Amino acid sequence: MNPKFILFFAWYYGFYVVLRGPSYLLASLSLPLTLLFMVTIFTHGTLIAFAIAGGPIAIVAANSINGAADAAFFRIQIRIQDLFVATSITSQDYMFALSLSYLVFSLPGIILYGILGSYLRVFSLNSAPWIIGVLVLLTLTISNLSFIIAGLLKHIRNVWGITAILSIIMTVLPPTFYPYSYLPNWILYVLSISPVTPAAVLLQGIVGLERIQYWMLAILFFETVVLTLLGRKFIRWRE
Amino acid sequence: MIEIQGITKRYNKHIFALKGIEASLKERVTTVIGRNGAGKTTLIRILSTQLFPSSGTALIEGFDILKETKKVRQLISSIPQEAQLIGILSPLEQMQLYLMARGFSTSQAKEESKDALDELELYDFRNAPSDTLSGGMKRKVFVAMALAAKAPVIFLDEPTTGLDPLSRIEVWSAIKRLSSKIILTTHYMEEAQELSNEVVVIDQGKIITQGTVNNLLSTFNGKMRAEKLDGEEFDIKIANVAIKYIEQDRVDEFLRKGYDIKRINLDDIFLSKGVSLES
Ligand SMILES: Nc1ncnc2c1ncn2[C@@H]1O[C@H](COP(=O)(O)OP(=O)(O)O)[C@@H](O)[C@H]1O
Ligand SMILES: [Mg+2]
Repeated sequence: MNPKFILFFAWYYGFYVVLRGPSYLLASLSLPLTLLFMVTIFTHGTLIAFAIAGGPIAIVAANSINGAADAAFFRIQIRIQDLFVATSITSQDYMFALSLSYLVFSLPGIILYGILGSYLRVFSLNSAPWIIGVLVLLTLTISNLSFIIAGLLKHIRNVWGITAILSIIMTVLPPTFYPYSYLPNWILYVLSISPVTPAAVLLQGIVGLERIQYWMLAILFFETVVLTLLGRKFIRWRE
Repeated sequence: MIEIQGITKRYNKHIFALKGIEASLKERVTTVIGRNGAGKTTLIRILSTQLFPSSGTALIEGFDILKETKKVRQLISSIPQEAQLIGILSPLEQMQLYLMARGFSTSQAKEESKDALDELELYDFRNAPSDTLSGGMKRKVFVAMALAAKAPVIFLDEPTTGLDPLSRIEVWSAIKRLSSKIILTTHYMEEAQELSNEVVVIDQGKIITQGTVNNLLSTFNGKMRAEKLDGEEFDIKIANVAIKYIEQDRVDEFLRKGYDIKRINLDDIFLSKGVSLES
């Protein structure tokens, strides 16, 4: 483990994208904010709390899945991955560094929703650590899914298409912006294939909008572990 | 010293990229030269612990690339072919990250990076987002990384391919500041002549000849190259160009026959081994 490398990489790569490429930040906020607007209008404001709670989940999930494009670009196109393979860091260091940079990149959005959510009394100080915990787990899980996708690709030409599709399906389909109790149980089980589902269900429980489902925490943990192991296998560190 | 012991690499059923490479590289600067697809990148990536060989191994300063990977990685700095900087990061930021990955402390990484950027005349651009730099400057930042890393062994895979002539000279002068052992690849003959003491010529995954530049050229023993489109006398014919190696005293005779006379250079080593230079 090289924590210093991980932290610096995450800070530089996460923060400077925000600073020097703000259009990416706005792009990552446009979907959740649009859905917040629509859910509020369609439900005459009754589900606004759900759309607020889902915002950070959607931001973190979308930024992490877009990481597949980053990881593929670094490996196939600009050869940054190869540059790091021949150093003392491990594949796990590299993957942590990238994952954490996606979390840093998500911070402005999370803060924006934190402010909105506090103002509308959806989030409280007590729930904050739990929410952050869920967001960290979700970042790790989806980033590893990204590394698997990036490792499987031979060319980068399709990666932006693939991530765009996945990002929409994974963030809008699960109960990110609506109450999970609207779904029959079997659909909830099926949707749990996407780590966004357990994360969203947990979050609705944590902020007290719905009953908390502890078994979803087990699913999220399980998916984090499995995807991390698979990510390590698929990233093609030393090929 | 680098000892390459019977390295083969098979990517799949059809592609045998390296077919039993056997060599010991003793000189400070060695150029691996070969046309596109010869297997240069495959060899460099195997030696730099980025790719596993199908069989065989190599020793870098006595350490085995397969069994002592950790140790080897401390010794080497390897700049991949077509490596590009992350556009939104500055040269200083990326060099720092690279050096920290190599185990430098935060402040050490910063200082060494600044020094190397200064030495390669990139200091004024250290904080600019990399996508604002010219192609030659970007490539020089990678040479600066290798310089700052202070690695005893440096691999540079086609460091000047695709650069304009002026940028190439800039990168050459940067490479000349490195005092480590260097293995570089190229398909430019003049680059091998300019930068290296020792040349390894590979084609289709095999070493076809190896030696110092002077040694290789001396096999032509004072001869000249005469070439003419559709010429009738030739040792080799490539496309429609007849090429004949002649003694000095026949130069006038061949000039009269309409041949162009050229000095021998590394191209001729390729040509004489029956390797076409077109890719
Ligand atoms: N990842 C790969 N999968 C399959 N074939 C490959 C791969 N990388 C290189 N090759 C093939 O191996 C041969 C040698 O390639 P390479 O080492 O890149 O040559 P060079 O660097 O000399 O241009 C080429 O025929 C190339 O197409
Ligand atoms: Mg190559």
